[in-house]
Amino acid sequence: MPERTVTLPNPSGLHARPAKVFASAAAAAPGKVTVSKGDREVNAKSVLSVLTLDCHQGDEITIRADGEDAEETLDELTALIESGLGES
Amino acid sequence: MSKLHGRNAAPGVAVGPVFRVVAPEALPIEDRREGPAADEVSRLEDALARTVSQLNELAERVSGEVGPDEAEIFEAHASFADDPELRANAEDAITEGASAERAIIGAFDEFRDLLVASESEYLSARADDIADVRDRVVALLQGVDVGAPLPVVPSVIVAETLTPSQTAQIPREMILAIITETGSPTSHAAILARALGVPAVVAVEGLTAAVARDAVVAVDGSNGDVWVDPDPDQRERLETRAREAADRRRLLEDLKDVPGATADGKHIELAANIGSTDDLSGAVEFGAEGSGLVRTEFLFIDRQKAPSVEDQVEFYRQVAAAFPGNRVVFRTLDVGADKPLPFIDREPEENPALGVRGIRLSLLRDELFRFQLQALLRVAAMDDVGQVAIMFPLVSLPSELQRAREIVTEVAEHEGISLEGIEIGAMVEVPVAALAANRLARHADFLSIGTNDLVQYLFAADRLVGDVTHLTDPCEPEVLRLIGNVVEAGHRQGAWVGVCGEAASDPAFAMALVGLGVDELSMTSPAIPEIKDALRRVDAQECSDAVDRAMKADDAAAARRVLEDAVRI
Repeated sequence: MPERTVTLPNPSGLHARPAKVFASAAAAAPGKVTVSKGDREVNAKSVLSVLTLDCHQGDEITIRADGEDAEETLDELTALIESGLGES
Repeated sequence: MSKLHGRNAAPGVAVGPVFRVVAPEALPIEDRREGPAADEVSRLEDALARTVSQLNELAERVSGEVGPDEAEIFEAHASFADDPELRANAEDAITEGASAERAIIGAFDEFRDLLVASESEYLSARADDIADVRDRVVALLQGVDVGAPLPVVPSVIVAETLTPSQTAQIPREMILAIITETGSPTSHAAILARALGVPAVVAVEGLTAAVARDAVVAVDGSNGDVWVDPDPDQRERLETRAREAADRRRLLEDLKDVPGATADGKHIELAANIGSTDDLSGAVEFGAEGSGLVRTEFLFIDRQKAPSVEDQVEFYRQVAAAFPGNRVVFRTLDVGADKPLPFIDREPEENPALGVRGIRLSLLRDELFRFQLQALLRVAAMDDVGQVAIMFPLVSLPSELQRAREIVTEVAEHEGISLEGIEIGAMVEVPVAALAANRLARHADFLSIGTNDLVQYLFAADRLVGDVTHLTDPCEPEVLRLIGNVVEAGHRQGAWVGVCGEAASDPAFAMALVGLGVDELSMTSPAIPEIKDALRRVDAQECSDAVDRAMKADDAAAARRVLEDAVRI
């Protein structure tokens, strides 16, 4: 499954609001999308699961996607993270 | 008439009829479903969908009535109820025979347990949010109306406890005050009350038993008093006070964005003491010009291991970002013999107040100190944060300050961060440091007088021991004179001088400090508007004349009378 590793630039990491922005974007993808930190990997479309990863600014997370549009999904999600997930 | 007492959570006085918010009675929950799985799944789908739309409506209403920041929590709640993983887990449990209620409780609690177990304060707080959403879904499944009756006349809201969604359902114009039997000044209900500008009292023992549904209740949110069915005289007095309090609040609100200054325009920075991130919104609300004391201990206590540099960066950033354009003075870790921590291994001392603590501990065992400086410097280098300053606690001698500065320089070089614009200073709370202020100030960009500890050490009297409190009045002429000397020494060396003890929130003492030439007063934020108002009524020269007379008084009581007369309080 193709994957990307990114560092979270936004101040509040994956707290409720940015986690929601991220999970809703992931939910738009047709295939399966996961996100992992350390050895825990969870469903990226689930805001509750993403919250439990307890991701902070500067943490490295890995996103994996499957299906035909996997690369496109990963491009979109990494761009979204790099743009700060709606936080300035 | 009966009188109750609780913790003051939002200032103001109000009198009005009671509106009781009662949590819907918990109905027994069937563990197993009776009908086919498909029916049970669609019952759950329906309840979840209704929860999402109710919460989105609530978010929209709160956004319009209170503000978009306050609405955010309900948007988050809606996204929890809409979670695909939650739904899938619950549907699996239904397939295996569970009832929709039991299945969704299990699915929510699985996430809740993970958050409760996390070390992060933020995530543990989100666990309560999950419980709030869970209860809403269960109530809808059971056909219980969570949209309970709402007050139709402006009322004092009385409840055992208030969840965020219960609080938010009540139209704001119907809320005269909020009183709860449980809770703390940081609960959602208290925060909302402050945002609305209505009084709140929490943790009122015996409240729900004492208040009948048709009662009239009066509440004083500044001291935590609650009167049930006040008699007519009392009621009239309180209504007058409520009107005066409302007028006063409007006046103080008008002052919020006005910088602290005397009548003749001498600027005095009025800053907030910050003990945890919970204090930030209050500080902004009360118009603090930055913070003169951030007690960084809050990050370290109640923990088994030291917070990582990243955790520290996150918290310091949050604090510094609350005051863009203003100075934020972080005091490095002030623990040791008097406040032991599990991850700092030290022998107990016979006399902890005089032992290894504050900067002494940081210099003796500097690993933790270096990590903290690393985090502070990284935040100082960020954009969009206030101007970070670093202050060391319990400095006695200039050599300690010099050594601490050397370590700051080493850490900054290692991190590749320029120290330009980062002020470094010392707290003056040890008597010898006050006496050596001239030499200390040569190595400091600022000095900040911690009046509590300084007075305690000067008098050899613990302010927490009732029988010696008469020995700890900072208005004692010798204390005033010593503070005056510190200010003069600081200014001679080009250092600004502040006061960050709670005594700065005493208007008479604050006037004395201004008279002595203090540049900054840092205090608990609710005191800021009062001090700001008091300052605007006097000239700098009047303050300095008054303090000159006070220093010649026979004792603290006489000095205080001189100051109080002069400031016309």
